Amino acid sequence: MMWSEKHRPQNISDMIGNEEARSALIEWFAKWKKGTKPILLVGPPGIGKTTIANLSAKQFGYDMISLNASDVRSKSRISDVLSPVLGNVSVLGSPMIFVDEVDGIHGRADFGGAEALIKILKEPTVPIVLAANSDTSTKMKSIKKATKTIYFRPLPPRLLRLYLENILKMEGEKLSPGTLIKIIDESRGDIRSIINSAQAQVGGFNPQTEKSFETLDVESGVNAFFKANSIDEARSVIYSMSIDPREKINAFYSSIITSSLSNDEMAKMLEIISEADMLYGKIFKTQEWRLLRYLDGILLRLYKKGTSVRYSQYNLSWPILNRIRWDGRNLKSLAQVMAKKFHISKSSFATFYLPFILLLIKNKKLEIEAEESFGEIIEKEIERL
Amino acid sequence: MSWRKITMKFPGKCIVCEEKIEKGDLGLWAKDVGVKHEKCADEVKELTCGVCGGPAGCKQCEFRESCNLEAVSQLCICKKCESKSDSYNLYQKHVTKKFHLLNI
Repeated sequence: MMWSEKHRPQNISDMIGNEEARSALIEWFAKWKKGTKPILLVGPPGIGKTTIANLSAKQFGYDMISLNASDVRSKSRISDVLSPVLGNVSVLGSPMIFVDEVDGIHGRADFGGAEALIKILKEPTVPIVLAANSDTSTKMKSIKKATKTIYFRPLPPRLLRLYLENILKMEGEKLSPGTLIKIIDESRGDIRSIINSAQAQVGGFNPQTEKSFETLDVESGVNAFFKANSIDEARSVIYSMSIDPREKINAFYSSIITSSLSNDEMAKMLEIISEADMLYGKIFKTQEWRLLRYLDGILLRLYKKGTSVRYSQYNLSWPILNRIRWDGRNLKSLAQVMAKKFHISKSSFATFYLPFILLLIKNKKLEIEAEESFGEIIEKEIERL
Repeated sequence: MSWRKITMKFPGKCIVCEEKIEKGDLGLWAKDVGVKHEKCADEVKELTCGVCGGPAGCKQCEFRESCNLEAVSQLCICKKCESKSDSYNLYQKHVTKKFHLLNI
C-alpha cells in the first residue's frame, strides 16, 4: 500500500504546518451561516489543500460535493451539477461544495464557467471551498473578490524531515541523513512527493543518477521499469514516475508495440494496457480521481524480469512513420494538383477519386502525365492496391 | 526570488517586522512573497520553533540554502527540540495547545 494513502491524516490536527491557515479555515467553518463568503485556499500542490477540505467536511458533518476545473468550465455544466445542490439543501442533508484547481478555468477552457461560478459564489446557500495553486491570473481576481483567501505555504524543510522521520519510524524503516536531505530538497515542499520518494528509496531502489525518480523523464522511467531486477523495484519506479497518467499509458503502449515480443506476450501486455486505458477513461468520464491510485497497480502487471521492452516515443516503427510522413506529403501535393483539374476539394479527391484513378491506371484504362515525384507515389500506391 | 524597489501604491504590511508600510513609501516587493521595508532587507528572518517558542535557528540550519524563509509556513522546530525523543508528537502537542482551534 502506498504510504501517502496509509498515513493520510484522519483529523485536521494530524496535519503538520500551516497552523494559522488551518485555524482560519476551522474558524470559518465554525462560524459559517447562509451568505458567508466562500473560502479560497491558495497554495502550491501537495501541501494538503484537498486533504483539509475533506477533513473539514468530515469533522463538521458536511457531505462534500467535489468538483474540479473541468466540471466548472461551462455554464450549463455548472448548472447541471450545482443547481440541484443549491436548490434542495434540506433534501440533500448538509452539502458542502469543494471546487479543486479553480485556477485551471481560464482562457480557451472557459465557456462561461467562471462567470457562472462567481454568480454562485456571491450568493452561497451552502459552504463553498475553492482551491487553487495560484491566485495571480486575471480570472482569479474576480473569484478572489467574491471569496475570503487563506494562503497555504510550503513547509520548512526541517519540519518536513520531522514529519518524514515519524512516518519512517511507524514503518520501522530508516534512511540515511543524506538521502533524507536529498528527498526533501527535491520535493520543493510537496509532502505527497516526499512520502512517495521515501517509499521508493526504502523499497530498495537506488537510482543510478543523482536525480530521484521524481525528476526522471518518461524515457528513463519506462526503461528503469523494464530493467528492474524485482517487482518491488519496478513498483518503486512506477510509483515515482510523476507524469500525467495519459502520458504514462501512452509511453508504455508505444514502447510495447514497437518492441520485439512474441505474439502471446504482446497480446498479454496490450490487454493490461487496455485495462489501464479503460480505467483512465472511466476516471476522466466520471471525474472519480480517487480511482487513479489503482492505475499504477494495473500497469505494474506489465513487469516481467528480463523483458526486452525499451522506451519508444512513437507507436509505429520508424520506417512506417517515415513513409507516412513523406508519402503523405507527396499525396497531399498530388491531391492539390488533381483537385483543381476535377473541380473538387482535395479531401474529396484523396478519399473518393484517387482509388478509382489508381485502379484505372493499373488496368491501363487511363494514362496521366505527371511530374516525376508524383509518378513515384502513384506507383507505390498502385502496388498497395 | 528577486526583490524590486517600488513606491507603494497602497499601504502594506512588512513581512519581516510586520509593521505597516504607508502609501508613497519605498518598499521592496517580490512576486508571491510580499513587501518589506528597505531597512528590513538585511535582517535575516528566523522561523519560530513550534515546541519551545524560541527562534528555530535558521542561520545554522542544514536546509538554509533551500528554505525560503519568507515563503514557508512560519513554525518550524529548533535543533534542540528536534533531538528530543518523540519530537514529532511533542511538536504536534505544543502546536495544538497554541492553536486551540485545531483541537476540534
